[in-house]
Amino acid sequence: MHDSIIDRSKDITILELLDRVLTKGVIITGDVVISVADIDLIYLGVKLMLSSVETMEQLKAGKAIKSV
Amino acid sequence: MEQIIYAIVSEKRGPGKLAACLDGMKGFAGADLFAVNVDEISTVVSEIERADLITDKANAIAFAGVIASLAEHFTLLPMRFGSMLDSPDAIRKMLERNYPEFQNNLQQVENKNEFGLKVICDSEKLMTELLAKSEEVSHTSQQPITGNKDSVFREYVNRKLKAHRREEMLLNYVDKIIAEFTGLLIQNNAVKKVKKMTSTSTLIDAVFLLEKDKKDELVMAIKDMQIKYPGLNFILTGPWPPYNFVDVTLK
Repeated sequence: MHDSIIDRSKDITILELLDRVLTKGVIITGDVVISVADIDLIYLGVKLMLSSVETMEQLKAGKAIKSV
Repeated sequence: MEQIIYAIVSEKRGPGKLAACLDGMKGFAGADLFAVNVDEISTVVSEIERADLITDKANAIAFAGVIASLAEHFTLLPMRFGSMLDSPDAIRKMLERNYPEFQNNLQQVENKNEFGLKVICDSEKLMTELLAKSEEVSHTSQQPITGNKDSVFREYVNRKLKAHRREEMLLNYVDKIIAEFTGLLIQNNAVKKVKKMTSTSTLIDAVFLLEKDKKDELVMAIKDMQIKYPGLNFILTGPWPPYNFVDVTLK
């Protein structure tokens, strides 16, 4: 019941997850083998998606508690 | 074959428990997960061909999934997606070189979870409400001056003053919510990182590290804040592994 305010909506959770896994955490400088271009593309996608989620949230603003 | 690293894990409380947990768990491309350890700290890794590490959403989610499963049972530091070393021996050496930093960071996040809180609003609607509340002030001290020889200049100044006042009003409002939110976190001994006004609609973007048994208390308090500020949208996510609270510069 307490968890009803914790957001379970798929889009936001995936955005938050990608933000963390791609840009946070321990990094081994020099040994990380990732394609920077790919990461940028995913991240650009994330930012665009975030904009649309924000718009969606604005529309929903006023709704007191999210449903699970 | 390279070794992709998922997390740095503390085995302080259960030596041997990690190996048992990893038994049957799969990593990238269905490869078995295994541990490379030095004393009480282990890395969880799997073998991978460099060419197989495609940076796409599915792989990033799979990587995070391994970390999330481990975080249910162990104190850990999540690695950033794509962290690889050449061999178990290279990993062991990296662990030895950075052992004190890992130990210190693991201690900081022990028995804690990360949560994220975004406070989103319809900025125009919020501004209208804030302006309405401060109507009295605007009619006394900020009355625009017209019919003057310098009317163009006056108009410009008045416009700038109005914009400044709007911005100041919004910042004061956000500061008030941050103070309230920070008070809650202090009560719960949480560590926080708060950014304000990251976009026109995101008033607050915060992450915080909270003891696992304090979760329900904090969720209830944020729920109360949501009721208190019905025009705002409080988006709470978590629990997450402590991605935002690792402070390690690897040697």
